Amino acid sequence: MTAASILATPARFPRLLLPATPAQDPLDLDAALAAGAFASLRSAVDEPRAGGVIDALVESGMRGRGSGGFPIGEKWRACARTEADRRFVVINAYQADPAVLTDRVLLETNPYAVIEGAAIAAFAVGASEVVVALRAEAADTIQAVETAVTAAEAAGCIGGDVLGSGAEIHFSIKPLQGSYLLGEETVLLKGLEGRRGQPEQQPPYSTTRGLFGAPTLIHGPQTFAAVPTILSGGIAGFPETGAQAFAGTILIQISGAVARPGIAEVPFGVTIQEILDVAGGVPSPHKVKALLVGGPSGGILPPESLSVGFDHDSLETAGAQVGSGSIVVIDQHTCVVDLAAVLTRYCADQACGKTIPCRIGLRRLAEIGARICEGQPRADEIARLTDLSADIVGSALCDHERRATLALLSVVRYFRDELDAHIVRNTCPAGVCQPKAAARARPVG
Amino acid sequence: MSFVPGLGIAKGMALTLRRFFEPKATIQYPETAPDIAVRFRGRLQLLYDELGNLKCETCFQCAQACPVECIDMGGFDTMGRFHVHWGAPEQYAERREKSALRRSGRPVPDPAYSHFDPVDTAVVEGILEKYDFDPRQMLAILESIQRTYGYLPVAALKRVSQVSGAPYALIYGTGTYYSHLRFEKPGHIVAVCLCTSCLVAGSSRIAGTLARELGTEIGRGSAAGRVDLKQLPSHVPGATSPLVTLDGKPQPVTATGVAAWARALAGRSLT
Repeated sequence: MTAASILATPARFPRLLLPATPAQDPLDLDAALAAGAFASLRSAVDEPRAGGVIDALVESGMRGRGSGGFPIGEKWRACARTEADRRFVVINAYQADPAVLTDRVLLETNPYAVIEGAAIAAFAVGASEVVVALRAEAADTIQAVETAVTAAEAAGCIGGDVLGSGAEIHFSIKPLQGSYLLGEETVLLKGLEGRRGQPEQQPPYSTTRGLFGAPTLIHGPQTFAAVPTILSGGIAGFPETGAQAFAGTILIQISGAVARPGIAEVPFGVTIQEILDVAGGVPSPHKVKALLVGGPSGGILPPESLSVGFDHDSLETAGAQVGSGSIVVIDQHTCVVDLAAVLTRYCADQACGKTIPCRIGLRRLAEIGARICEGQPRADEIARLTDLSADIVGSALCDHERRATLALLSVVRYFRDELDAHIVRNTCPAGVCQPKAAARARPVG
Repeated sequence: MSFVPGLGIAKGMALTLRRFFEPKATIQYPETAPDIAVRFRGRLQLLYDELGNLKCETCFQCAQACPVECIDMGGFDTMGRFHVHWGAPEQYAERREKSALRRSGRPVPDPAYSHFDPVDTAVVEGILEKYDFDPRQMLAILESIQRTYGYLPVAALKRVSQVSGAPYALIYGTGTYYSHLRFEKPGHIVAVCLCTSCLVAGSSRIAGTLARELGTEIGRGSAAGRVDLKQLPSHVPGATSPLVTLDGKPQPVTATGVAAWARALAGRSLT
């Protein structure tokens, strides 16, 4: 089992993804069937109306849990309507953020919900192959998914004759490793094709031209796991569980200066303060200085943002992103300028090298951050930083480079005092950077 | 200085006036398409930067894109490895090999080039057969080759190219992109976790110190027997931050003690 604690949430937070009471053995198919697994797949198979499942999803207004937040019903419809003799469904469980384990925990504690959701998707769009892309390092998760797929195949829920309907849905498990960017969907498809992982221009979207050129439906496991609940729990009830435009719940990994770091399932739209309360709040003498929301390419938000709702639109407005679904609480001992410089450098190092704004622009951005931390800023450093960031965002090919600018931009936006202390006064209020020492060492002329 | 004042300017204006009525060479592209032969591909040229260094970093993209495989490459990639490209059909292997080496300006015995002789490539065909000689399984094929040899010998990749028909550039591209695939025999592997929690705990400074002390960089290959510095793919569940591992085992390394730790490690493993 992946070692990560699942936090208890208040009763008003519904559980749609993780089981409310942990099952004795999550891989026991008989127990899962008794609890209602594959019931939605059966009703989807028995649905007399063609495209009924897709219509239900469009009505539910559900959006993907990934950083894009695209309405999934539309995606399924586009995939189903594209003329092709072969289609794929891909479960993107790669989870590139090295600190986040939410998808792994979901696949280990509730594997049949993900398998059922993917099978419904395959049935709805007419795909006969489902590919589960996982991190090769997550041996426990791979083992769990293999066991679950084998059991579901033996019981006839998936495989050559899905629930007696004659449809074929075959699952294959592909462990991948070796690149941060594999979390991006077009890069993941390249990895599955055995090629170097570089993103592709979109459109054409993967729903019309994806894996091996065939229409491909690609979602994270959290999205697939929610599908059976939408279809069985009634369309009407689903949007009420989250913020208006973002139906449903999401898994969040909370770490940093909180009492109980771990994974929590929360409805979209709850405030960050409520999420921190789930993790036991911030114990003294720690104080919330900043919040890193969205993983390595996320934004650094000030304590005032504790009232911001956790959903795609609100976070985007605040200067962060849902991203990998991680919140790191940063206390007063951390320098946000240093952190932003380090994160930008990290993102620059992960670049695949395909586009110039990413390969060179992010590197220059990281250098600006490093110069500020070392006490050697050039004139107009902040103007250069915002200009360059705007250029990168404007000419970016994939979301990695667009989001990588968030860290430094959010520091410019929210932590101007601390930034000015570095640039103007050559001091680091948190005492992390040593700008003065570096400034003295600078050669004259 | 002419004897008649204003003669020079009159001459110049006369030329301008004459050109004004001549046919124009400018074409309003893209409204008007230029008249170019269909097989014309321009002139191949290697560019130098302002410091006089060759800008080509031997990425093999041009060799991979060349429709008639007339581009041969030989040179050092960004990892300091020497590579030669051959196209898929190997009929002209001899000529390509010689010409590529000659043009690269390198003497033939080269540390990276010596990958070629000692490796028995018979096992490669077994691996390829398992994957149905399918270039779309290239990642799995390369991982399988690495499991067999411990690294990716260039001779084995060349054999894969020859047997499966996949261009060497494509195989090389996949092989160099993924950080778990390597072209050198492995030594000790020191890995630093750079997850958000570890970054907050100062792991990027630790990585910098390690790079300095071990004389390498994250992801850069090192000579056989030395210490490889890598980035940990994901945080070991339950381990404390900052996290540094040696051959997969977490080490008690702190920001202050990392320099001494790295020096001791380098001293041990270099003897």
